[in-house]
Amino acid sequence: MKTAAELKPGEKAIIKDVNNDHPSAHRILEVGFTPGQEIEYISGAVFSDPMAFSIRGTIVAIRKNEASCILIKK
Amino acid sequence: MHTDQKINVTEKKTPLISLVGQPNSGKTTLFNFLSGKNYKTVNYPGSTVEYSISKILSKHAIDANILDSPGIISLIPSSPDEKISVNSLHSHPEFGTPDLIIVTVDSSQLSRHLLLVKQLKDSGFNVIVALTMKDILHKKGFDISEKRLSEMLGCSVVSIDGKTGGGIDKLLKSINENIINEQSGREINLLRLPHNKRKDSLLEAYREIESIEKEVLYSRNSDDNNKAVNLAKINEKLVVLNPSNTQNRPDQNTLALDKILLHKFWGLTIFAVVMSITFTLIFWLASPLMDLVNEGFTIASDLAVAALGNTWYGNLVSSGIISGVGSVLVFLPQIVLLFLILGLLEDSGYLARGAMIVDKPLSKIGLNGKSFVPMLSGFACAIPAIMATRTITNKRERFLTIFIVPLMSCSARLPVYALLIAFLFPPETPWLGGIAMTAIYIFSIASSLVIASIVNKFSNKLSGDSGHSSFILELPAYRKPKFNVVVAKTLSNAMQYVKKAGPIILYLSIILWFLTYFPNHSPQIDTEGKQEDEVSELINSERIATSYASTFGQFLEPVLKPIGLDWRVGVSLVATLAAREVFVSSLALTFRVTDTGDDMQSSLLQAMKNATIDGTDQKLFTIATSAGLIVFFVFALQCISTIAIVRKETGSWKMPAIQLVMFTGIAYIMAFITVNGLRLLGIN
Repeated sequence: MKTAAELKPGEKAIIKDVNNDHPSAHRILEVGFTPGQEIEYISGAVFSDPMAFSIRGTIVAIRKNEASCILIKK
Repeated sequence: MHTDQKINVTEKKTPLISLVGQPNSGKTTLFNFLSGKNYKTVNYPGSTVEYSISKILSKHAIDANILDSPGIISLIPSSPDEKISVNSLHSHPEFGTPDLIIVTVDSSQLSRHLLLVKQLKDSGFNVIVALTMKDILHKKGFDISEKRLSEMLGCSVVSIDGKTGGGIDKLLKSINENIINEQSGREINLLRLPHNKRKDSLLEAYREIESIEKEVLYSRNSDDNNKAVNLAKINEKLVVLNPSNTQNRPDQNTLALDKILLHKFWGLTIFAVVMSITFTLIFWLASPLMDLVNEGFTIASDLAVAALGNTWYGNLVSSGIISGVGSVLVFLPQIVLLFLILGLLEDSGYLARGAMIVDKPLSKIGLNGKSFVPMLSGFACAIPAIMATRTITNKRERFLTIFIVPLMSCSARLPVYALLIAFLFPPETPWLGGIAMTAIYIFSIASSLVIASIVNKFSNKLSGDSGHSSFILELPAYRKPKFNVVVAKTLSNAMQYVKKAGPIILYLSIILWFLTYFPNHSPQIDTEGKQEDEVSELINSERIATSYASTFGQFLEPVLKPIGLDWRVGVSLVATLAAREVFVSSLALTFRVTDTGDDMQSSLLQAMKNATIDGTDQKLFTIATSAGLIVFFVFALQCISTIAIVRKETGSWKMPAIQLVMFTGIAYIMAFITVNGLRLLGIN
């Protein structure tokens, strides 16, 4: 299954699920990364970590490791 | 699972209104509109969570207290500090339960911000929604129906213009109606949301919010409306759940700017440039102001001596109290400038990007992108810097940041470096001095990072419970900073510095004054053929040479000898415990420099050149010992105020004790290596 961490800059995807086992999962859901939402990977810092995603009308930066718990379909 | 609270609000008391909102939702701007500048900042007892409280401005004609709480994302806390914020929202230990909550909601990202509103309503709070950032929503081509939103949420909804304050009168009317309702004797039954992290209930809440969003948002003109409908239809076919829609696009200008500012290469370059400019501004703009403060206090001190005479109490007032107050206030210009620039960067939206850019390298050594602002502030003063670590949610990362902040080269070290560099490099080549100064800063940054990574590897005990490391940060839309809000915040931060650091530095400088003034308070000297000024300076020098401080300095001499110093420098080093920059003036005292003002530095430099170690021909200040002293100052923790603030922020003496022993130990060892290494190389 693809995760948000594998997106390339400018690529969009729809969130399929958020892996509940990740310790940041609940906060990631709370800031708006919920299944069905469209995200776009805007840009990343050096080594693409952290990554900035557009979500629900704003931009949220999360670590690559945290992005990897967001499961997507393109 | 639910804890019920029954609070009876029939008894007459000043109503309490709490302001709640997500970070970047315009909460502080609204608070300033309602409270003016007369607010006080209070800590939640026993913690570092901070609140601002104020009466509503009298011109608004509402008798109520308004409480500005820290920004929260959700009522289900994810860190200890958030837990305190949420608990005190329900029942603040000092102010009780709010009669009314005003929650700020960014209308351009409605669904994200309605989550908090929904949680507050579900908990039974009496809520008014203040819609902000409508200009951004309009730019996206959308508008919002307040009436419909109010019906669907079941609470009042008012739009606020953050720039002009438009809508405040409507909000006040709404507050008035609500408070009158409350005082008619209704009981508030508060439900505590279960603190477990249920995914399904969260998703359910979001589904409900999304259906509200669809009802209340509409396109601003009919043309767009058709497009939106078409787009929605197309998306419905493509996506089963929640079609992507245009109101969920971030601000277009922001996206365009981020293409450059978050670019892998340009982003980093611009970041470096912004930081260099920040630094330069802090030091260059502040230095004439700092000179002005210094001069003001010198004049005040002279006036005190003139008024009270050259007596012990005259001296206490001039050298102890006035100089003590002066040594606190001299850093104020720099601290104000630092907070002003950081405030403007934060309000414009750039600071969050900065934190993102440095998160990766900092996380390698156990820090966090959010450690970056405190570390930067540390170059002005460790005290506000350590207070700024509160934004770091992970305790281990926060403690590690607090641990290394005192290693940032704070502005109090600057006069010391300036003196020693002036001693090492002839005035004909000022650029050499400039290079040396830059080298000192780079050296201090590099060594603090090395120390952080070592401490990170070997100590899990620093913070105890650690939790997992995380970096989730909203990058808010770029906008023109609101100058008055930034200024208000800057002044409040500056006041906090004065209040927290002030008393301790003042007491200490009085104690140091005592140690340098007694027991031989009126020494006899040969006054023949000398001018009055000279006589009084000689008396001062004689007094300090026979003082308790000097006795203590001599007691330290065996320790100082290996790094090439003698008791006179020792006295100055003891004096630096109050404030590092005291080093220069106390050195002038112990070397019996009789000039003051502009000439003081040149005559002090001359005295330093001539000084020999007691009873020998060996020069005291050599290249080796001066370089050693610089290295000593880079590492040593010679600041009582820092120790006090670390104790306060970490809740125990453990961290400041480790810092004191470790940093001063490293300082001593490094100075020893520098001095003796240079001597071995034949540089003396």
